[in-house]
Amino acid sequence: MSASAAPTRDAPPPAKRRRRRQVAPYVFAAAAALYLLAFTATPLFRGVDMSFTDTRLLNPTGGRYIGFDNYVSVLGGAAFWNSVATTLVYTGATVACSLVFGTAAAVLINRAFPGRTFARAVMTLPWAVPTVAVVLVFRWIYNDGTGVANQVTGALGLGQPNWLIDPRYGMLAVLIATVWKVTPFVMLVVLAALQSVPDELYEATRVDGADGLSTFKAVVLPYLMPTLRVVALLMTIWSFRRFEIIFLLTGGGADTNTIVVHVYREAFLNSDLGTAAAIGMLGLVLSLIVTVVYFVMERRAMLQEGDR
Amino acid sequence: MLMHRRLSLGVRVVLALATTVLAGFPVYWMFDTATTPSDALYRGDQSWLPDLTRAGNVFSVLASDTPFLRWLGNSAVIAFGTTLLSLAIAVMAAYALSRYKFHGKGLLGFGLFATQMLPEALLLVPLYSLFAILGLLNGLGGLILVNTSFAMPVAVWILKSAMDGVPYEIEESARVDGCSPFAILQMIMLPIVMPSLAAAAVIAFFDGWNEYLFATTFIEDRELWAASTGLASFVGEFSTPLDTVFSAALLFTLPAIVFFLLMQRRIVSGLTAGSVKG
Repeated sequence: MSASAAPTRDAPPPAKRRRRRQVAPYVFAAAAALYLLAFTATPLFRGVDMSFTDTRLLNPTGGRYIGFDNYVSVLGGAAFWNSVATTLVYTGATVACSLVFGTAAAVLINRAFPGRTFARAVMTLPWAVPTVAVVLVFRWIYNDGTGVANQVTGALGLGQPNWLIDPRYGMLAVLIATVWKVTPFVMLVVLAALQSVPDELYEATRVDGADGLSTFKAVVLPYLMPTLRVVALLMTIWSFRRFEIIFLLTGGGADTNTIVVHVYREAFLNSDLGTAAAIGMLGLVLSLIVTVVYFVMERRAMLQEGDR
Repeated sequence: MLMHRRLSLGVRVVLALATTVLAGFPVYWMFDTATTPSDALYRGDQSWLPDLTRAGNVFSVLASDTPFLRWLGNSAVIAFGTTLLSLAIAVMAAYALSRYKFHGKGLLGFGLFATQMLPEALLLVPLYSLFAILGLLNGLGGLILVNTSFAMPVAVWILKSAMDGVPYEIEESARVDGCSPFAILQMIMLPIVMPSLAAAAVIAFFDGWNEYLFATTFIEDRELWAASTGLASFVGEFSTPLDTVFSAALLFTLPAIVFFLLMQRRIVSGLTAGSVKG
């Protein structure tokens, strides 16, 4: 393949069968492990280190250790807690909307109707559009006065809010763009899961005379649950760390200052790398907690499903 | 019964139409904006239907005084580099995780998953200083390295799930014949998980093609910018006409869409092999 495949070629010659079995996994895993160590763990630990210093952007190596001062001031200020609340709103709404719309779209597209292939292609399109292009077109749609969003709300008699500036609408604007972009991923995965639902399951309920919605709830939804849980976790983690679409739309203004945007602004607008690193670490702890809660719930759900 | 069927078919078509319009509109609007003269755009005088006689304007950015074609080329280098490097590493790691027990297996699995939680913005500064020491700033190679650290774990996850679904017996006969583990991976496993390999490739490619934050922070020379950086540089500046900006957005989007549509079937089967089967 490429240069990085080379280490395995230098693998110890296949000496004895028993030995080889032990060596092979380490050779296979080495590249990924080294990569993680060099480009993820190292910067992460440097970040941890930095969070205990007063490092400034203009003098990145001249920080002094100041203990927990950064954490104390971050936890004591309102800005961080606001960004936590904003992150929770953004994440919760993104996960809920993308899961509901994605599942609905998958159910819709799962059965044959005229034009299905075309509809499916268009519905998955947003996933392929690069984020910066998404931002550009949504900025134009939200454009003050002449944008499509204002034309629609104006026609509906809802006024013409300045979507990306007004704190009452900033989050909604960012959410619409985000959900538009990420829902196709949910749809694709759920669609694939739906196609593995055995036909007999549908047949059984159809004979019972159940209507569409109750069939879905009683038969299809339980079948989809494991898939939906995995997708929910991925959507949660990804929403927690999503940066570009928010920052490029509002710059973190209009009440959209999520933790990650807050980190960036603290580092590059306030030039305070130490504080930025501390905020980042606290955010990381938060998403770790969410992940652990998820795995606990997942285990419980699996046990319950096992009971049935 | 038949009546009921027909009704639900009608509802289905109407709902599908509405969803299609919502999903497709922003892309359509990009095209519509790119084909509208910029003075009409500034007047707020944009037609809902694109002027197809001006469809050629989609390429207007290439005639502008920005090196946009060059930026697209840079993005292609970054994207292909990220894809190759990610897959080369991921195939081997996924095989190790799927087929072997070894010390540190749990740690590696956790480490790979944990990268999904790390915000790029958090690693930006430490990576910047690390790359400054290594002399990797202001070059496309550095971007390939950093993108791979985010794309490779996803590829491992997809490939491992696919490999988990392959029965051991298939490799067993080759093993008895004395094939090396590397040969088994290459000749037997890889062909079987090809759809997942394709899915992982598309996702890694998108990571490299779309990435903005590192590309913008690490690269100084305007000639070496990624297309995402170049496109974002149009936001909030007024020297480039709007229709030209949207022509750039469209040219940046089209390769991704074409690539995606060509690979769509494989992406779906690849994403779902094993992992999310339920």
